[in-house]
Amino acid sequence: MSTTDMALPGPLLQQEVPIAPTGRRRRRRNPPTAKHLRSNVTAYLMIAPMGILLAIFVIWPLIYAVYLSLFKINFYKPAEFVGLQFYLYVLQSEKFWKSIGVGLYYVVLTVPAGLVISLLVASFIKTLSKKAAGWMKTTVYIPAAISTVVASVLFVFIYQDQGFANWFLGLVNLGPVNWLNDPSLALPAIAVPGIWLGFGVTTLIMLAGLLDIPDSYYESAELDGANWFQRTWFITIPLLKNVSLYLLVTGVVAAIQMLDLPLIMTNGGPVDATTTPNLFIFNSFRDGTPYATSFSLTAALLLFVVLGTISAVIFRLINSDKAVDG
Amino acid sequence: MKSPLPIRILKAILIVLISLSILFPLAWMAIAGFKGKTEVLRDPFQFFPDVWRWQNYADIAADPQFVRAILITFIGALAFTALALVVNSMAAYAFARLEFTGKRLWWIYFIIPMFVPAMAILLTSFQVVTALGMLDTLAVLIIPGAASAAQMFFLRQFYLNFPVAVEEAALIDGASRFQIFLRVFLPQSIAPFVVMGMGSYLAYWNAYVWPVLTITNPDLTQIMQFLGNFRSDRGNDWGLLMAGSTLAALPTILLVLIFQRYIVNGVRIAGMK
Repeated sequence: MSTTDMALPGPLLQQEVPIAPTGRRRRRRNPPTAKHLRSNVTAYLMIAPMGILLAIFVIWPLIYAVYLSLFKINFYKPAEFVGLQFYLYVLQSEKFWKSIGVGLYYVVLTVPAGLVISLLVASFIKTLSKKAAGWMKTTVYIPAAISTVVASVLFVFIYQDQGFANWFLGLVNLGPVNWLNDPSLALPAIAVPGIWLGFGVTTLIMLAGLLDIPDSYYESAELDGANWFQRTWFITIPLLKNVSLYLLVTGVVAAIQMLDLPLIMTNGGPVDATTTPNLFIFNSFRDGTPYATSFSLTAALLLFVVLGTISAVIFRLINSDKAVDG
Repeated sequence: MKSPLPIRILKAILIVLISLSILFPLAWMAIAGFKGKTEVLRDPFQFFPDVWRWQNYADIAADPQFVRAILITFIGALAFTALALVVNSMAAYAFARLEFTGKRLWWIYFIIPMFVPAMAILLTSFQVVTALGMLDTLAVLIIPGAASAAQMFFLRQFYLNFPVAVEEAALIDGASRFQIFLRVFLPQSIAPFVVMGMGSYLAYWNAYVWPVLTITNPDLTQIMQFLGNFRSDRGNDWGLLMAGSTLAALPTILLVLIFQRYIVNGVRIAGMK
């Protein structure tokens, strides 16, 4: 669904695919076909394998999760229907809201910075010769291929007391700082590898959007005496609106679901300062008691309703829009 | 149009600076792999090891569990990638090129999973694979994630833009729809297959949470799971850990370098109208 590489670890290994809305949608649906061209048998055979896999590993687990969230499970008694009670518990839980707060803070730390860096780097790449641009595109993409586990381990190493980050601070006579054990620094420290892993794909999509803007717009603006900032502000940014909106929404949705980095780097600590919503849910799963299970399941479903709706709406908008050319 | 010399020099400097800051963490990881236990986090700080020693790399490469994890993950990733491409491209073709009863409804069914976050179904997927007896087998890593709505959507976009003429010619020659898919569409699909296949391969290779939940047999330990365990068990041996991380990241970096042309164009295909 989303583009950034903050790949959902998840059971479904769903890879993140860059589907950037850089252009006009070609057609709404296939042209009407005569009856004799229908090919029900072939079509059903071709969609069946994927359809069955989705049924077993996505649709059924989803339905089952909704079902479970409506019951109180008990080892000794049959499950008892409790309706939306768990939803109420979750919405009243302080820890849940705190994790949402952490998630939003992580979003604020990573998404705007990632977008700005991507826009700057993409604008720079656009001005380069073909060869230099090729080198830069490959370079920015490399971190996207690195696993969050490797990045976590690597940045924990960098944040050690005698590690690179503290040496760097020492250069300007600051520090040393206890990066991952200081509640106010831990999340920003985790955001750095988050941005590093994610900005490459964003940059490439942004660049594709930039290249779709006709050169003639810039040429005529230049003739009218517009400087670089005016050209960026009045041409680039408005015309990149859809691409940016897409990247913003997918970026927010991916970032608020961050799990691996805090899981491996801090395990949510210190004092829950890095317990993102998904880590909160994941830790409740691991707790294993029936109450914790139902509780975390319900929390996950609540997040799904919100995030899924946002993504679905934006997906609809972008796929029906005239996109950047406007 | 050639820019004046000062601007070209400025750009060259910028290229070097940007590349250095992007690649620095990786270089730092590889360099740390060459350092001994006492010098890897020493005060005063130093960039390079006193002596470039291969010991850490040799040690980790001689660890049978590490080698096994790399191999088993590689095999699993290949199988996963192949299965994903087969399953998703068939569905993509059907949705792009065939007319069938209930197509609009089926489309909604196939696209909904794109909006289901992994976390929402983590627990119940785990219960499903447990009930199916898939725990502690490679199948639990390969099969559940193979069907990907996002991948199918991308391939369908690609197939929608295929010229109809070729297909009609084949139909007149009496080829069946499936034969057309095999002989006309697949051979033209190399570029999107490389891009999508890379995505699948990387997702499998880099996965952590799902293997940790479903695999307990040490013989089937996946590479990222191995690294995670290594960090909790022997986390203070930074030189060795960095050497291992470098070797675990190397195959994915090589993959990017080999297929760089496709990736860069792939984003264009992906952004295709």
